[in-house]
Amino acid sequence: MRTFVILAVFGGGLAHATLGQALRIADVAPDIPLIVVVLLALRRGPEFGCGAGFIAGLLQDAASGGLLGVQALTKAIIGFVIGAVGGRLRVSQPLVQVPGLVLLTIAEGLARFTLLKLFRFPAPFGDLMTYVVVPQALYNGFLGAALVLALAWAESMRERTS
Amino acid sequence: MKIRAVVLLGTVAAVCLLLLTLQMRGHAARASDMLAVVTTPVQSALARINRTTVGVWSTYREWKNVRAENRRLREEAQQLRIEALRVTETVEENQRLRRLLALKAAMPLTTLSGEIIAREWGGWVRSLTVNRGRADHVTRLTAVIAPDGLIGRVVDVRPGASIVQVLTDPASTVGAHVVRTRTQGIVEGEARGTIRFKYMARDGSSIQVGDLVVTSGGGGLFPRGLPVGRVRAIDDRGSALFHYAELAPAVDFARIDEVLLIVGEGAHDVAAFFPEPSN
Repeated sequence: MRTFVILAVFGGGLAHATLGQALRIADVAPDIPLIVVVLLALRRGPEFGCGAGFIAGLLQDAASGGLLGVQALTKAIIGFVIGAVGGRLRVSQPLVQVPGLVLLTIAEGLARFTLLKLFRFPAPFGDLMTYVVVPQALYNGFLGAALVLALAWAESMRERTS
Repeated sequence: MKIRAVVLLGTVAAVCLLLLTLQMRGHAARASDMLAVVTTPVQSALARINRTTVGVWSTYREWKNVRAENRRLREEAQQLRIEALRVTETVEENQRLRRLLALKAAMPLTTLSGEIIAREWGGWVRSLTVNRGRADHVTRLTAVIAPDGLIGRVVDVRPGASIVQVLTDPASTVGAHVVRTRTQGIVEGEARGTIRFKYMARDGSSIQVGDLVVTSGGGGLFPRGLPVGRVRAIDDRGSALFHYAELAPAVDFARIDEVLLIVGEGAHDVAAFFPEPSN
């Protein structure tokens, strides 16, 4: 399990820049590390979510060539918050998963934009939300829900065989 | 919530903000370089895996496309082949009908065109069924011809069809003569599907291989001058009363599809309307 977590965090962070292109639909790519961080935070709590978010985000920053620390911070916050409040949410329902991931992606986008604005990021808010954050949020919502269902199915199969 | 978690978040936030501040002041090159030492090899490996996977997938898709295209092209080739055969068939039919029409228009005879709808090729009987019958005023013993020469005579008339006894029928006999020598004789059909010319021995020695044999017009059944066949071999029986010559029929009965039935007066010499069959 530990190996899987390490692979998920490190692999997710780096695979996004390298392999994310293959998952592009109409020039929109999902934020795989964010989905991984959310799933891990829900299972392991705020500390793990925060750490996983920091590492995955930092690797993502390094891999994408952006400012180091932007996604590290936003994903660490997302991981922490989800890890803290996740226990109170019925996250096993797809009706919660899809909008939940959509809202989290938008929240992460807003946080990233705010942080970047502090460091003189020039892109306008409206364009960024319309063409980048919202389409990616929708993609994340459906991909994340599918991933949750696939994991649940894999776990039930494993329990049945053991 | 545990204090430890909040401390962790605070530390992470502090590290990130410190990193960002350092980068904005131009001191982050070393941090980036250190991270690149870890990330670059992993990214290279992932890119290689990605390229290989995508390559295999592309090859598979191309192979599938090639296979589908191959199937499509094969079907297209098949269709074109059928189309070409149909065109060839139509052209050949057109040529045959043109020849038949030209003959019908040129001859001073009343004729009726007909199409072969069946063939009896067993050996006991050799006949063709033509789609003209009693309704078309066809009568028994009507002569049936093709642009190359004589085919035979009608032996049975039905409401919508007629049975034509072909020259090669063992029961078929036609009065004929050799064009070059005027040697008179009878053309008979044989069971093996050939025809022979039976003639008097007295002037038989003058017949040669390749001589054209045409109808003599005796009896008024067939017009005079219709090509029957060409001498292929001579059977000289010495002092016998009759000699025989094997003939190659002027008409290829197996390949004929359209015919003319001579329904009117047949007492004419029509030799001029048939071109000399080639050897």
